[in-house]
Amino acid sequence: MITSTTGVRKILTSNALSLFGVVTVSFFLLLTVAQVASSGRILPYDPFKPDFTVANASPSLGHPFGTDLLGRDMLSRIVTALPIDIGIPIVTVLVSATLGIVLGTLAAFFRGWLDEVIMRLTDMFMAFPQMIMSLAIAATLGPSLINVTLSLIVVWWPPYVRLVRGGVLAVAAEDYVSISKALNSSFLYIVRKDAIPNILPSVLVYATTDVGTALLTLSTLGFLNVGIPPNAPELGVMVSNVGYNFYLFPYQVVIPAVLVAVIVAGFSFLGEGIREALDVKLRPHLLFKKESLKESGLLKPREEGPTPAVTN
Amino acid sequence: MVLVGVSLIVFAISHLLNPDPAHLWAGPRASASTIAAVRTQYHLDQPWWTQLYYFFQSYFTGNFGTDPQTGKSIISEIAFYFPNTLELVIATMVLIVILGVGLGYISGMRYGSAADKSIRIFYLTCWSSPYYLGGILAVLVFTSYIPLFPSGGMYSQTLAPISRFTGIYVLDAIVNLNGEAFLSGLYHLVLPATVLALLEFGIIARIMRSSILDARWSTHVKAARAKGLGEGEVRRNHILRNALIDTNTMIAVTFGFLLSGTIVIEEIFAWPGVGYFTYQAIVSANYPVLIPCVLIFTLGVIVANFIADVFYSLLDPRIALGEGGVT
Repeated sequence: MITSTTGVRKILTSNALSLFGVVTVSFFLLLTVAQVASSGRILPYDPFKPDFTVANASPSLGHPFGTDLLGRDMLSRIVTALPIDIGIPIVTVLVSATLGIVLGTLAAFFRGWLDEVIMRLTDMFMAFPQMIMSLAIAATLGPSLINVTLSLIVVWWPPYVRLVRGGVLAVAAEDYVSISKALNSSFLYIVRKDAIPNILPSVLVYATTDVGTALLTLSTLGFLNVGIPPNAPELGVMVSNVGYNFYLFPYQVVIPAVLVAVIVAGFSFLGEGIREALDVKLRPHLLFKKESLKESGLLKPREEGPTPAVTN
Repeated sequence: MVLVGVSLIVFAISHLLNPDPAHLWAGPRASASTIAAVRTQYHLDQPWWTQLYYFFQSYFTGNFGTDPQTGKSIISEIAFYFPNTLELVIATMVLIVILGVGLGYISGMRYGSAADKSIRIFYLTCWSSPYYLGGILAVLVFTSYIPLFPSGGMYSQTLAPISRFTGIYVLDAIVNLNGEAFLSGLYHLVLPATVLALLEFGIIARIMRSSILDARWSTHVKAARAKGLGEGEVRRNHILRNALIDTNTMIAVTFGFLLSGTIVIEEIFAWPGVGYFTYQAIVSANYPVLIPCVLIFTLGVIVANFIADVFYSLLDPRIALGEGGVT
């Protein structure tokens, strides 16, 4: 597990990809926190108040990202959208990862019928077409931010169960776990001291990239006008609100959509960077570059990544 | 087993969340008796276990009844929409395999070089882009600024309709020996398929790259070189072939995903596919339509996995010999 802060910094700045990820992710996270903390006072304009005198204005100094068809400042609306567009994916991934850790650990440690039930359930949910499922749930529950989060979580947890179960199974086969069991350590003690520290890095890597994927799905739901209240500032909703006006005012579509791509790329570059840095399948010529990392004791074996969703 | 599970999930979602959608189906101005008739026709007045019985009965008889909103037979509607999606998805998959395997191979073989870095940035960026960004940008640039391609539809509306055999327009045009229709179908296919392929090839390229990296420095490759095999032989039979085993799984997964994942592209390009059809069914709580659609998607995933298994045995002789697991 990553314990020292200097080590974390070394890993993340070790290559350009993850550096881009760190910068992007922390920039948008800070902006989100600032927006929430100041409850919107950092915005230059009111994101909800229409002003028809400046409707569809192109990007200018006064409105750096232009205005939408009701004359609302795009920049203000985009910043207002960040708590939704970054918050919901993070909550989704956190809840899914927690569910995955609990269910996966239970399945791997107790095996037998419990394992069977949990894994069959996971398989079923994985066989289901994801997008269709979250669309169906979000549509039937009706538009609200809580419902859309729920609809994402329902399709989001299964890969985590697989990932965690695989990792814990590998740990449980280790000698030190057998010894710990022989010493009459309690189940919770083994989980806390052996299982969790070993699986956490791989879950962390997967979850980082996954925040971006969740944002993609969330904004696609927004684009299809399902689940997210039509008036809510959300990047996907903003894109779809433009409708066929996008031939006339392409910036209204391109700016929010590109921002989604940038945020998603930030998270996936960060995940990719951490994965690369933690990877110890020693490749000959990389040994030299990673010398410094090895000294800091950060290169430790990691579990295999999540198995691809193969169903039959 | 999986099919039964998936059907149960659909059933549970549709019945727990919206137990009485008769109002929606009958339309906003329907009279009370019409609503009651709809309710009887779809067994909504029965308790849930009776509904579950009818639900499974429809599975075994293959008769899913009529679409409550259009009045057409659901099977015939799907038979119309599904081949359209299949056409798009197959064209996309061809491009994805070429792009993903090709770029992943180059990236893996030139690990650490500038080519590797730019390929990685390219596929990660494409992969991070939402569908609507790719779709709208393509429409904007290639149909408006540089009008090279049609902005939507499957074929030119001025052409005489051709008789349907497979339902896949391009194939039907070949069967009909109609060159004009074939070119028109292909012409309309280029833009959506390319956009979809660019947005989705990243995962294949990534798996390909890491499998190449795994295979490149493994002992069997060293052994092959030590034996004195030529570089081409080593690359073709010892590196590429091993790397394709993992990639094969991911290609099957992507195919299954694309069948239901083309909704946004189908909407932007006005492509009358089953993804868009399903989306309409979801928005209007049209469960009798949703259920067979999901069944089709799940079947598609199963078929894709079966094809992947066939390729496995071609790629990995141990599986064909039934000696899997000996490494």
